[in-house]
Amino acid sequence: MIGAIFSEVGLTVLFLRDIVRTAVRNPINGHLIAEQIVKVTQQSFATTALAGFFVGAILTVQFTLQVKQFGALGYLGGLATSGTIREVGPLLIAFMLSGKVGAFTSAELGTMRVTEQIDAIRCLGANPLLEIILPRFIGIVISSFFLLAIGLFMSIFGGLLMGVLFSGINPDEYLRHIPTIVSLVSIASGLIKCFVFALVLATICTYKGYATTGGAKGVGRAVVSTAVATMVCIVIADWFTSFIGDVVMFLFIGD
Amino acid sequence: MASPVLELKSVSLSFGENKILSDVSLVINQGDVLVLMGPSGHGKSCLLKLLAGLLAPTRGELIVEGHNFFSLTEIERDVLRRKMGMLFQKNALFDSLTSAENIGFPLNETTTLSNIEIEKRISRFLTAVGLAEARDRYPDEISGGMQKRLGIARALALDPQIIFYDDPTAGLDPITSRKIMELIISLAREQGTTVVAVTNDMNRAYQLGHKLAMVVDGELIVTGTPEETKQHKDPRVHQFIRGDLKGPLTAMLESADQNHDSGARHD
Repeated sequence: MIGAIFSEVGLTVLFLRDIVRTAVRNPINGHLIAEQIVKVTQQSFATTALAGFFVGAILTVQFTLQVKQFGALGYLGGLATSGTIREVGPLLIAFMLSGKVGAFTSAELGTMRVTEQIDAIRCLGANPLLEIILPRFIGIVISSFFLLAIGLFMSIFGGLLMGVLFSGINPDEYLRHIPTIVSLVSIASGLIKCFVFALVLATICTYKGYATTGGAKGVGRAVVSTAVATMVCIVIADWFTSFIGDVVMFLFIGD
Repeated sequence: MASPVLELKSVSLSFGENKILSDVSLVINQGDVLVLMGPSGHGKSCLLKLLAGLLAPTRGELIVEGHNFFSLTEIERDVLRRKMGMLFQKNALFDSLTSAENIGFPLNETTTLSNIEIEKRISRFLTAVGLAEARDRYPDEISGGMQKRLGIARALALDPQIIFYDDPTAGLDPITSRKIMELIISLAREQGTTVVAVTNDMNRAYQLGHKLAMVVDGELIVTGTPEETKQHKDPRVHQFIRGDLKGPLTAMLESADQNHDSGARHD
């Protein structure tokens, strides 16, 4: 069991190496990548916006319950937004994407694999990694930034709305402390996490799809294991980036 | 004329514990039309994929035009691959592309032809396989026979010197399958290409092949011309081409069933 997990991790890392190598050695087809970016962003736009809205709303409600007793409701907006940008936003958006884009991509690639379309590409003297994997991989990574931006914007809006309706503070008060609490470090942390999660998601779902075997059942297995593996790996990556972030902060700032 | 273009040297193939082919040697010369036949699940498609360089042998060598294929770099292999075309068992058409785009794909991706030239070629191949009116339709919007013909057109798009056909008439009615065979034969004759085809339809096999060979239980038996095949001494070949219910092939299957309750074999 543990051996199988390690071998799967190893194969996924080797696959990522192949993708990077392909990207470095070949001219990249911008048109195919742009197509994927538009497709992924369009597919997940509405759900990410909705999720973002409720993330902001949930954090605001939770923080309200905590800070109310200290009479610190003025910091509510800053706290909720900072929490969203640093941690909860990237994490939840990555989960959304793993359910939507990850499952879709692994099912699509898995079907291409079991119907021999990937062999056909190879047989026609073209490189499947370059033709179908790389555009999807880069597409997912880049569009996850767009989606994060949309999600965060909506979370501020959701938090603001809850701040007014649930906590009873006025919008100005909610927004006032956002710039003081949300520092550059928070934003950098959110962006780095977003990048790492997107990388994890894109690698796993393209690998699982590409390595599918065994007909319709195999495609089913690939989708399920993509969903499970991306969720688990994203949570681990979240812990890991926080840990590394802490170490880096300690080394450079000593705090 | 008779220079070998493809050669298998003592090739074995297994997936884990499952042995598919053992110690197969084969020489295919320029202009040969070889038909592979044999019971399902005995490794015909695997042999075809080995010849096309899509599967790497567990042991042994694949020699393409005098080069040991798997000792070449990926780029050198791609150059050789472009000289080969393949029709897959289930066609393997790109279902997100239209018929015309399916044929255009290899031309766009692997040649430096201009768009006008590519358009011309697409039209030429679509007309050759009788699909001119289906150029903007997607593979799932055309019939099985049309999909096969589209698969053939795509396999031919790069003007390959060697073409592999994996069961080109599977699931087609007798008239369509005859038409497809005639198309394959006329295309091969016009271009003088080397053809390796898998089929279990004996009439089509005799119609197509200069040379026939049978894959059975991991072995390759080259049975010769259609006439020689009909007279072949091996009882397995004898049973197979007549489709007899009793004989060494069915005895083998029955004993295999008894021994390990239908093991999963790769086709």
